[in-house]
Amino acid sequence: MLAKLGKRKTVWLAAAIVAANGFFPALWILFTSLKTEAELLRHPITIVPHDPTLLNYVRVFVDQPILLFLWNSLVVAGLSTVLCIFVSALAAYAIVRLRIPGRNIVLSVLLAVSMFPLISLMVPLFQTMRTLGWLNTYPALVFPYAVLSMPVCTLVMASFFQDIPNDLENAAMIDGCTRLGALWHVVVPLAAPGVFTAAILAFVNAWDEFLLALTLSSRVTSRTLPVGITLYQGEFAFPWPIMSAALIVAIVPVCLLIAVFQERVVSGLTAGGVKG
Amino acid sequence: MATAKRYRLSKLERDERRLGYALLAPAALLLLAVVVYPIAELLANSFYSFRLTRPGYRFIGLENYAFALFEDDRFLHSVLNTVIFIVVTVPGALFVGLGLALLANQPFRVKWPVRLGLLLPWALPLVFAGLIFRWFFDFRQGFVNWLIELAGFDPPQWLSDPQLAFAAVCVAIVWKSSSFMALILLAGLQTIPKSLYEAAEVDGASRFQQFVEITLPMLKPAIVVALIFRTITAIQTFDIPYAMTNGGPGTATETMAMYIHKTTIDFLDLGYGSALATLMFLISIVATSVYLRHTKRDTGRG
Repeated sequence: MLAKLGKRKTVWLAAAIVAANGFFPALWILFTSLKTEAELLRHPITIVPHDPTLLNYVRVFVDQPILLFLWNSLVVAGLSTVLCIFVSALAAYAIVRLRIPGRNIVLSVLLAVSMFPLISLMVPLFQTMRTLGWLNTYPALVFPYAVLSMPVCTLVMASFFQDIPNDLENAAMIDGCTRLGALWHVVVPLAAPGVFTAAILAFVNAWDEFLLALTLSSRVTSRTLPVGITLYQGEFAFPWPIMSAALIVAIVPVCLLIAVFQERVVSGLTAGGVKG
Repeated sequence: MATAKRYRLSKLERDERRLGYALLAPAALLLLAVVVYPIAELLANSFYSFRLTRPGYRFIGLENYAFALFEDDRFLHSVLNTVIFIVVTVPGALFVGLGLALLANQPFRVKWPVRLGLLLPWALPLVFAGLIFRWFFDFRQGFVNWLIELAGFDPPQWLSDPQLAFAAVCVAIVWKSSSFMALILLAGLQTIPKSLYEAAEVDGASRFQQFVEITLPMLKPAIVVALIFRTITAIQTFDIPYAMTNGGPGTATETMAMYIHKTTIDFLDLGYGSALATLMFLISIVATSVYLRHTKRDTGRG
């Protein structure tokens, strides 16, 4: 049957199926967020909003602390990404360039950490943060998030560092650069695409995380977007118009990020995924 | 022997080593603080009776574990639920992911819609996927029941029936995890040399034969890695059932991770929660060591 459709059409159909599968839920929520409350209660349901309204967005920004959630998410994801990239870049460089014994052990530890059940960390972290008085503060999430993305970031950057010719560094060192100087002036600029790829992965991981955020930072003023939006439901009778508008607000930044840098993200994911 | 060897290292080599360890130090420190120390604390607490709701911190040996394994039906039920989620959604995500990867592995002129179509589900937070599918499976306003009514059937109450709720959560998990699977498998597909297919075509092999004889064997390493990876994350299933059903109706969709969370955060029973989390930790170690052994064998061969 497919053969009869002709080559061009099957290719087109394949693309349509994959795209529809990925886009549909987000598109559905977008449509929902543009409907009036009356239209949402109609039965049978409508697909495309009959008279689109932005009222739900106004209500999300005015009645809900969504800007606060957005700010919390940005701060936590941003700071943890910076910390993670700094630590992972140094580790990746050490693994690739410096002949240290126990390299394979370091790699095995990294792989093991990346497989670690978060829920097992959640219990003692809750206790530790409680003792430190860090519950509902940014550090309570920044440090764990930096560690969570460390394995994948280290592996991604290590694979990029590997492709930088050794000669460039040696030349810099002959010209009087120190090792660290060569790392900073030669390797980092050349490895910028790799560093950037790793940073996107770390940022998305932190932006999406839910369990630790729910456990360690559940006070309304310190909630990140996933926690803030999910807990709407407990406090009001499932407010779908507002929820869907809030979901769109939360999804859009990350969607733009991965849409602009999609090739990087795919290469980073498959490098991290296939190797670790 | 060791000292003799150390003497032979030049000054440069010794400096390099020292620098190497110094560069690894920040990562090691973070790991110690956020992973190693908490796990030690977890193990210690699991032998104690320790609740925040009442004073006292009393050593009770293996009592927490004994209670979990022999008396706590709710825990065993959550383990069973997790196992069923794994058995259903891991192969499910593989089949859907493989299908998506095969569809995406075409010579598209415009590449971004397909690539973004695979990336979006990955980038969407798990809880948001849970919320969206909760809306899909809504009795009156849901998309699924709209389709069912269009087809002329009676719409079921998806999320208030134990079995249907379980099925709905499985659908959401498969949707969410299959696209990452597809990305990994697509990367694998693209490494298969085209000449293999051309040779098979000359020999008169059908498309199906090519798939079974060339694609599947060449893709096997990627499939195994993706499967193990997915299984390890499926053990920790939490976000999607939390957002869709909150474990309900009753405890029909409650997973191990959800029960541990409830025990620790809602019931504030840190001792017992630690014992349960330790059990989960042990299960993950077994799964991870299988994974590590596999990747090691793989790199050994290559």
